[in-house]
Amino acid sequence: MTPHSIGRLASDPEGLRHVFAKTALLALLCGFTGGTALAQAPADPATGGSSKTTPAAETAGFFAEPRAIGRGVELARRVRFLANGGEGGEVKNGLYPELSNMVTGAGWISGGPGYRQWLFGDRLFLDGSAAISWRAYQTAQARAELTNLARSRIAVGSQAMWQDLTQVTYFGEGQESVESDRSEYHLQALNVVGYAIFRPRRSLSVNGRLGWISQPTVSSPTGTFKRGNPSTQEVFPEDPVFAQSQQPSYHYYELSAALDTRDQRNRATRGGLYRAGWVGYSAHDDGPFSFGRSEVEAAHFVPLAGSRVVLAAHGWLVATTLRDDQTVPFYFLPSLGGNNTLRSYNDYRFHDRNLLLASVEARVALFTHVDGAGFVDAGNVAHRLGELNLDRTSIGVGLRVHRSGTTFARFDVAHGNEGWGFVFRMHDSLQLARVARRTAAVPFVP
Amino acid sequence: MGRRLFIFPVFPALVAMYLPFCTSEVRLTTTPLDAPPARLWEEPANLANRDLFNGPWGPALAPDPTDRYSLVQRKHTGVNPGLTVRDSKGREWSVKQPFEASANEAPVEVVMSRVLSAVGYHQPPVYYLPRFTLVDDWGSHVEPGGRFRLKIKALKDRGEWSWQQNPFVGSEPYQGLLVILMLFNSSDLKNNNNTLYEYRSVNGIEHWYVTRDVGTALGTTGRFVPEKGRPGAFERDPFILGVRNGFVEFDYGGWHQELVRGRITPADARWAADLLGRLSDRQWRDAFRAGGFSEPIAARFVGALRRRIDEARSLEPQS
Repeated sequence: MTPHSIGRLASDPEGLRHVFAKTALLALLCGFTGGTALAQAPADPATGGSSKTTPAAETAGFFAEPRAIGRGVELARRVRFLANGGEGGEVKNGLYPELSNMVTGAGWISGGPGYRQWLFGDRLFLDGSAAISWRAYQTAQARAELTNLARSRIAVGSQAMWQDLTQVTYFGEGQESVESDRSEYHLQALNVVGYAIFRPRRSLSVNGRLGWISQPTVSSPTGTFKRGNPSTQEVFPEDPVFAQSQQPSYHYYELSAALDTRDQRNRATRGGLYRAGWVGYSAHDDGPFSFGRSEVEAAHFVPLAGSRVVLAAHGWLVATTLRDDQTVPFYFLPSLGGNNTLRSYNDYRFHDRNLLLASVEARVALFTHVDGAGFVDAGNVAHRLGELNLDRTSIGVGLRVHRSGTTFARFDVAHGNEGWGFVFRMHDSLQLARVARRTAAVPFVP
Repeated sequence: MGRRLFIFPVFPALVAMYLPFCTSEVRLTTTPLDAPPARLWEEPANLANRDLFNGPWGPALAPDPTDRYSLVQRKHTGVNPGLTVRDSKGREWSVKQPFEASANEAPVEVVMSRVLSAVGYHQPPVYYLPRFTLVDDWGSHVEPGGRFRLKIKALKDRGEWSWQQNPFVGSEPYQGLLVILMLFNSSDLKNNNNTLYEYRSVNGIEHWYVTRDVGTALGTTGRFVPEKGRPGAFERDPFILGVRNGFVEFDYGGWHQELVRGRITPADARWAADLLGRLSDRQWRDAFRAGGFSEPIAARFVGALRRRIDEARSLEPQS
């Protein structure tokens, strides 16, 4: 089961009551179901042949920890380990709860069955899963990967993913989009990809992908627990997407490189992740929807005071390139806002061709398994690269519950130009799950 | 529709919670004559001289801490990380590692294995290394150690056996084994921790009913998050609550309480306690040394175990 952000609740006491009710319910459910330790990042078998040399060290906090906290997070750790494996890539064989592969906005909880199997001495990894969420988002995926070719230097694989996303949020394009233009659309897409990963060093990977997206369908929002927002077609009838009788199929090709020196993927305390990549989308119908996208991203972690304090800095730049007669359909537009980016804003609050984000976060170990955090997020979107700025800001504080290098729960409260935002997630804000993703992200998820 | 969706994830979760309690009736599966007790337990000859540091398989089979171990494959079962490695002599080892330094059940497992084998219960060759050098595709590096279990040709794993239905239910060795596990606050009385081994010896083929993977002990008992290897918790936790209707009531909160609730008599408890009571202080210390415990910590555990043994020995049948 994967909870998603509770959302932003500017001046909305009714919504606030719902949030607290849901949070209490979730806590209760965690207690009943053996700790629904949840994650966004899918298990990554490509690290199965590698090995982390040290188990995650537990840093004592500034205050003595009540025993109940330690026992609660141990319960969550076990469930997380069964679902997603360990830091060293020890992904388990057999049935597992599908806790990932659901995009932001799917609702506060989701779940489904999965099955995976290693074969031929860890050389072949097979995985299949399906899930449904609170808002009736549905996903199904199947993956086959040859993981440890050429002494673990090369992995090749293929994945097919079907998504039915019932209520994706869209506020319009540009820096000046207004909150009151909130709309929703229903997106269905089948995504098939073949990929190869070359690892000249354990920490360095070069990735190539070739994929195909079968005619996404964009329609009025459906599903359960609808928020009552109008459909995107009603609010933005002139958008080029609605000028098409049907969306084209796309093929895409991507080349990227990543240097990952983080000590832990799911709750880094030192090291960094630095990546750069380019992806080209080409519409099959020779229509106006072909474009390229470049990304540069870095996250760096500095431990202080014997790792009781960790400073994290994150920067992300996304730039779109396209011919004058081309445009980017809104479901592919880079977007900003929500639980991992501008935390006081709604998820998917801003869309445009280019995106810039900078975040700084300080985590302080209050107890052994609980950190307090303070953060500042700044960024914006822009039609032209030169128009990017850091004018949209969020400042806030939060709590993180963690163990064994994994964050199990994150509560953030942030304030910005559009009011207060409250975030409850079960993964770290800088986990950067998109790095482990195989298929192209449709829609673009910040 | 909303409520139905809410039930969708909750109902299977509740069923999953309930299913582990739906176990078979505890009963014999064959007559004892068809299954000699030696398959589960053998009278420990020369118990006073048994080496609890090296264990029943001796130092010859122990892993060399200075060796380099090549990775065969990672472990894909259970809730602990682990891997299969091969040493320079070509021997394969199943290594159970800690998921973090402070929650290591491997030392406890080795201690339990030493004690069980000393008092007559069969055990595979297991040892503890605090760290070792692993060679994988990326080179060699020091890995956190753990429980090393040797794979030997003479000992073939033939699958699990059931706590609830086996040829020994009700026998002294079976009852005594449960008492010993209670005495150590072992929480993992699950069938997948039981292994039926085919042991090829000079006397022919023997079948061993082995309880292994017993590292969830020496702390508190519980289903989901029992503490393990914590002397303070172990010292504080009660052992026997009393005797009711002729059966010993244990303070046991772990899995499969039906195995011990209303089934263990004071005589069973005394039988097991007398067996353990024959171990000397040096043997107890050696068992904990084999698991890598420091002398002061071992002394605390041994003190608590001695008190529990006395508690079991002092039980009187209830009229």
